[in-house]
Amino acid sequence: MTHKKSTNIRPAGSRRKLLQWAAALAAATAFPLPVIAQTKPFAGITLRGASFQHRFFTLLQNYIPEFEQQTGMKVDLQLSAFPVYNQQANLELSSGGSAFDFVNVTFILAARWVAAGLLTNLDEFTSDANLTPADWKPKDFVEGAQVPYRDAKGATYGYSWEGGAMVMGLSRMDLMEKKGLKIPKTFAELQQVCAEINGTDNVNGIVSFQLHHWCLPPYIQGFGGNIFRNPPSDIMPTLNSPEAVQAVEFYANLLKNYAPRGVLTYTEDQARQSLLTGRSNIFIHSSSWVTPILLSDESKVKDTARVVRMPAGPVHDFPASNSQGLGIPKNAKNKKAAWEFIKWALSPGICMRLVKEHGHSSICRRSVIESETYRKLNTVNGQDLGALYLEVLELPAKGENYMAYRTVKEFPIVGDVINKAFEQVATGQLSARDAMNAAQEQAVANLRRAGSPL
Amino acid sequence: MTGGGLIDAERRSFNRWALAPSLIVLFAIAALPALYLLVVSLTPFQLVNPASSTDFSAPLRNYRLLPGDPRFVNSLFVQAKLSLWGVLLQVLFGMLLALLLHTPSRFVEIARTFFLIPMVLPPIVVAVIWKLIYTPDISPIYYAASLLHVTMPSLTSSVDFALTAIIIADTWEWLPFTFLMVLAALQTIPEEYSEAALVDGASRIQIFFYVTLPFITPILVISAMFRLIDSVKAFPLIFLLTGGGPGSVTEVTNYYAYLLAFDFNEIGYSSAVTIVMLMLVVAVSFGVMWMGRHREAMT
Repeated sequence: MTHKKSTNIRPAGSRRKLLQWAAALAAATAFPLPVIAQTKPFAGITLRGASFQHRFFTLLQNYIPEFEQQTGMKVDLQLSAFPVYNQQANLELSSGGSAFDFVNVTFILAARWVAAGLLTNLDEFTSDANLTPADWKPKDFVEGAQVPYRDAKGATYGYSWEGGAMVMGLSRMDLMEKKGLKIPKTFAELQQVCAEINGTDNVNGIVSFQLHHWCLPPYIQGFGGNIFRNPPSDIMPTLNSPEAVQAVEFYANLLKNYAPRGVLTYTEDQARQSLLTGRSNIFIHSSSWVTPILLSDESKVKDTARVVRMPAGPVHDFPASNSQGLGIPKNAKNKKAAWEFIKWALSPGICMRLVKEHGHSSICRRSVIESETYRKLNTVNGQDLGALYLEVLELPAKGENYMAYRTVKEFPIVGDVINKAFEQVATGQLSARDAMNAAQEQAVANLRRAGSPL
Repeated sequence: MTGGGLIDAERRSFNRWALAPSLIVLFAIAALPALYLLVVSLTPFQLVNPASSTDFSAPLRNYRLLPGDPRFVNSLFVQAKLSLWGVLLQVLFGMLLALLLHTPSRFVEIARTFFLIPMVLPPIVVAVIWKLIYTPDISPIYYAASLLHVTMPSLTSSVDFALTAIIIADTWEWLPFTFLMVLAALQTIPEEYSEAALVDGASRIQIFFYVTLPFITPILVISAMFRLIDSVKAFPLIFLLTGGGPGSVTEVTNYYAYLLAFDFNEIGYSSAVTIVMLMLVVAVSFGVMWMGRHREAMT
């Protein structure tokens, strides 16, 4: 019986095997190998990208293996220090290189790169439904953050991954309350608060850092001046206007009288540390540097801190804002693959994960910033930091684009002149008027030498 | 041609062939880049405008603009001050230290090694060390001063002290070089001279001026020359400590050339600045060498 049974089973096993082979053959016929491979259309590609070191990319690197798994490509992301990256990318793009498939489009270099045609028009990708699904929503990016990445005709050359909105952090509200001081809303009140607090309990009135061409312009514009006559169309510098001179004098006095010793050589980190430890009462800078006063575990002043809009000037209320974007070099070898990466990295899903899983709030997708999750995570001591961030980030796109001065390709040259002139005033080498007259002369000469039409 | 002349000619020919590979390599790694720099300096080359790299329509434009550029002129003066004071202090203190440590002792030998450390550190590490020393918030010097109720200004952001701060850091870094050179020279002086002078009743100071100094002077001149040429390369200290500021107080020529090339993209103009700097360094080197030869001829 047993033997008979076993002889009966053998043919059945063979039949099963035969059926399995037949099924496999049918599957292979129905879905030939190239089709199976198409589920990972970028298999075998190594995508090379570059940016400066930033928390966004550090966090993104945790998710990149998922992207590689989905697409089959390898991502080789090179991160360098900010100035090193800018020099390297500038050299690479300007010389028409194809070493990178995607790059960070640095805010102050964006206009130069866009105007010189060094980047790929991303509208070619977003307008193609096969390349960009409708739910990716290019218009979801905060308008103010997208302005630098557009050319005169409105074509888009980058999508922003980081927004910087200038806000004011106050670390010692307890001291201010004791002295009956309110949060300063005007330049005059700012000076008064700095004067009253400076020296009390060994606290400095204000702290800042060495990038004066970022910190100073809101004061120049607040007093009614500007860096150029009418950027981006008229880039004649206006550094010696009475308003600019007044602003330089005002800001230099703040730093001379109420800031820590050596503030002119402070880096952003030093200034942030001074605020977070309560050694300085006020720090006005991008939200990502100021909001840690409420959000970071390092902050020693969480209970006495506030983050608010920076004070308004007598003429304008123009807090600075900026953004950093991702773009594709004109001569990149793997443009479609690069777009696939940008699309993924800046998708609503990844943006939301960065917010939820890491508390990274300086993203530029409106739908995420306005979500309930974002609001909950970024509301501290009753202060809705997300709303504040969005409000400032949107300002340049409402009415006059007052940040246009920073996106013209001539800005780096003039910005350096501003830095030098401001330091001359803050260290007493020259009066504000003399320094800004010399700066104006120097800026015009430098721009003419560089071939700018003035 | 005589037999001797023929041999000389063959020897010269052999020497030329023997030297040729080295000269070709030297030309490729030193002369070619310099030549390229010179060519670029004759153009208005800007990185964002590649076509400008071959625009030779106004070849001397950059050089004509240089005298009217206040930052360039200022940078030359800053460089001169930095080089002069830096080299002077390095030679002086290097020599004093060598005289002090020119003693046969186990402890002194260890001390000598210890003194060489700054010179072998990577320049950026030296800059970081001095950044820590000069930052009021974290510096032990400022902390000590505060204990004594002395308020020190921030050295790197002060108009009066910023360049001095760079000179001090540069001297600290390169003093061991002159120290090492002078120490080596001191060890070659025969003891008999000093002993004879002592027997003749010379004081220690007289021995130094009439015996030791003449012996080490050629070494001092060579050390000064090397340091003078090298002082033009004090880039990391300036980059990290002051960024050329406050204003343009510490902005030396190579730092200005760096800004022009990499921040403003003006490669052509930056090349012209670099060529002028190169010519000045070559002129100074020839001057010092001429002085050395002239002195040898006089003695």
